[in-house]
Amino acid sequence: MDSEDDMHDANDLESVDDDFYSGDTAMGSDDGDDFDFVDNESDDSEDITYHRQQQNYTILSEADIRLRQEEDISRVSTVLSISRSAACILLRHYQWSVSRVNDEWFADEEHVRKVVGLLEKLVEVQNSRELTCGICFENYPQDRMTSAICGHPFCGTCWRGYVGTSISDGPGCLMLRCPDPSCGAAVGQDMIDLLASHEDKEKYSRYLLRSYIEDNRKTKWCPAPGCEFAVEYVIGSGIYDICCNCSYGFCWNCTEEAHRPVDCDTVAKWILKNSAESENMNWILANSKPCPKCKRPIEKNQGCMHITCTPPCKFEFCWLCLGPWSEHGERTGGFYACNRYEAAKQEGAYDESERRREMAKNSLERYTHYYERWATNQSSRQKALSDLHSMQNEKLEKLSDRQSQPESQLKFIIEAWLQIVECRRVLKWTYAYGYYLPEHEHAKRQFFEYLQGEAESGLERLHQCAEKELQVYLDAETPMKDFNDFRTKLAGLTSVTRNYFENLVRALETGLKDVGSSNSEATCSKTSSSKSLGTKGKGGKSKATGNNSRLAGGPSHSLDESNLWSCDHCTYANPKSAKACQMCEHRR
Amino acid sequence: MSTPARKRLMRDFKRLQQDPPAGISGAPHDNNIMLWNAVIFGPDDTPWDGGEATVVVLGTAVAEGGELPPKASPLLEVVRLMPASRLGGTFKLTLQFTEDYPNKPPTVRFVSRMFHPNIYADGSICLDILQNQWSPIYDVAAILTSIQSLLCDPNPNSPANSEAARMFSENKREYNRKVREIVEQSWTAD
Repeated sequence: MDSEDDMHDANDLESVDDDFYSGDTAMGSDDGDDFDFVDNESDDSEDITYHRQQQNYTILSEADIRLRQEEDISRVSTVLSISRSAACILLRHYQWSVSRVNDEWFADEEHVRKVVGLLEKLVEVQNSRELTCGICFENYPQDRMTSAICGHPFCGTCWRGYVGTSISDGPGCLMLRCPDPSCGAAVGQDMIDLLASHEDKEKYSRYLLRSYIEDNRKTKWCPAPGCEFAVEYVIGSGIYDICCNCSYGFCWNCTEEAHRPVDCDTVAKWILKNSAESENMNWILANSKPCPKCKRPIEKNQGCMHITCTPPCKFEFCWLCLGPWSEHGERTGGFYACNRYEAAKQEGAYDESERRREMAKNSLERYTHYYERWATNQSSRQKALSDLHSMQNEKLEKLSDRQSQPESQLKFIIEAWLQIVECRRVLKWTYAYGYYLPEHEHAKRQFFEYLQGEAESGLERLHQCAEKELQVYLDAETPMKDFNDFRTKLAGLTSVTRNYFENLVRALETGLKDVGSSNSEATCSKTSSSKSLGTKGKGGKSKATGNNSRLAGGPSHSLDESNLWSCDHCTYANPKSAKACQMCEHRR
Repeated sequence: MSTPARKRLMRDFKRLQQDPPAGISGAPHDNNIMLWNAVIFGPDDTPWDGGEATVVVLGTAVAEGGELPPKASPLLEVVRLMPASRLGGTFKLTLQFTEDYPNKPPTVRFVSRMFHPNIYADGSICLDILQNQWSPIYDVAAILTSIQSLLCDPNPNSPANSEAARMFSENKREYNRKVREIVEQSWTAD
């Protein structure tokens, strides 16, 4: 078991978020199909790099990109019998799709040539010794003049200026045409190399590289700041989670941070809400009142209820009822008093704007509740990530020394931290999900909050154990005997938390369809079924195992049936030797 | 001292003097070749063209090629140069060039008050060759000629002056009336 762990974990450390909840096949879509398309063997035995390429995307470094670009250009150039520069222009026009270029070209070559500017016929070149440059109107001998395929001559200086300006203006230079407005002849890389300055050539080359990724619908740059990798994605495979080599996880569809199980729309709305002016407006609505006369929002900052609006309005009124101060007398309960509720209500004083204020206040409080938790989990995840890195880089060694355990025996700690990082991410987005859950769907809300609560408490226990209890062992001067117990406990917590989160994710991805019944046999303690029906219990067990190995790459590898069994009662992964569950004492 | 932009501007000026297109005139400032003044005359047979009353409005009948009275306004100088006896609208513009010329277009702006769907209230012009369709081949003569043809051929799809655009589409008579109004104004403005 350990040797296999080693082989996987060497690769695992690079991909923090990769394998949790993102299998290589569409996962969690229909629970009924769980059993069918899981191929346990292929998942567990393959090593991670092959595993990643089998997935629906590939990571490309700059060298990879250049190579592919050169290959595509060569291919088109050979098949269509045109120059490389012309092939490059064609490809760029058709979004770097070699198949599209071939289709369009062989369908109507002339039309394509016209549209792209690849004229075939050379315009008659004048035979005179001297030509006039069309831009500076100076005369130069013919050999000092250059022209595109159209034959319009321009002198070298003017060309340099023209090309230089175009390149400074941005990626539009890739579509450069002859300066003559009536002529559409394309100016490709071969001419740029002849005419432009060294810096401009570099810039042009850079734009061309970027275009290969940006103009191509199948590729995107990794959105992580400072990351130079691009991702090629196979459209139509359904899962949008990409994990880049720089360990940043993002969603293909919306290029935001990876946000499964919540969908892209919800995420977009949530992010907008966090940043929008709308929150300021809501605050203003909830915490200030409009002046009854000039309607400007006023925030009360002193004790007395007698408010005088700022010039030019200068209206004096009562903060509580917004009535004119001059009328504050018998009607409202005496001078400087405003306590007559019945009368006010009868008069319909608590009108539309008051109601809106109330609603805004409630909405703001509700939003604050979810936002606070979202943000807290976000910062908690950042802290966990840095703890993970420090653990990988220094602490593991230190611990290995202090407790005289070989580092290969300490993998469970890394796994625990990986799990924590991933679970914090999921938990964070479930709060955004919860905010947008319709208020009237009580059953769904209850179910959701139940699952979320279970997951959250599991995660807190795990995080606490990994953070605080581990510290004891790190600080210990001599090896401590109960380290093995700690190992068992942490590994157990890791696995339990993983199960809770899987349930939560699965439930959210099915849209909380099965409200009322928990469709995961793993968490629900169905004592009757597991005790009496042996076959059903076994079926359930292997189904759970099937889920686990499909869902989590490295760590779950150990839940292979031959090495561990999963308790039906609490899902703890027990070693084969145990006859009863080590966590809950439930008999196997 | 002589940059490519300046050289090119000198050429443009020479060309303009040697072979001036009809209804267009322009010259750089004495001390700054990067800033030009230009005058565009309203195209013939359009509302931009003044009409027969023009000569009378000026108050001084001047025979073609004849002597100008003393203290003549610059406008009369222009009139003398023009072969036609009718005086259309005379619209003044400024053109500001940069050292990027001719790779970048100049900033062109009407000084005279204008009423046209593609001319903003501050005198800026919404014309494609002055923005994204610019080419280094265009020179001052080409710019001014394009603007002149824009006058009687507006593009209501990119309205800079929404009132003018609306009037042009819906109420031609009212539009023409307003045009004649600014044509008359253009003679008296300084």
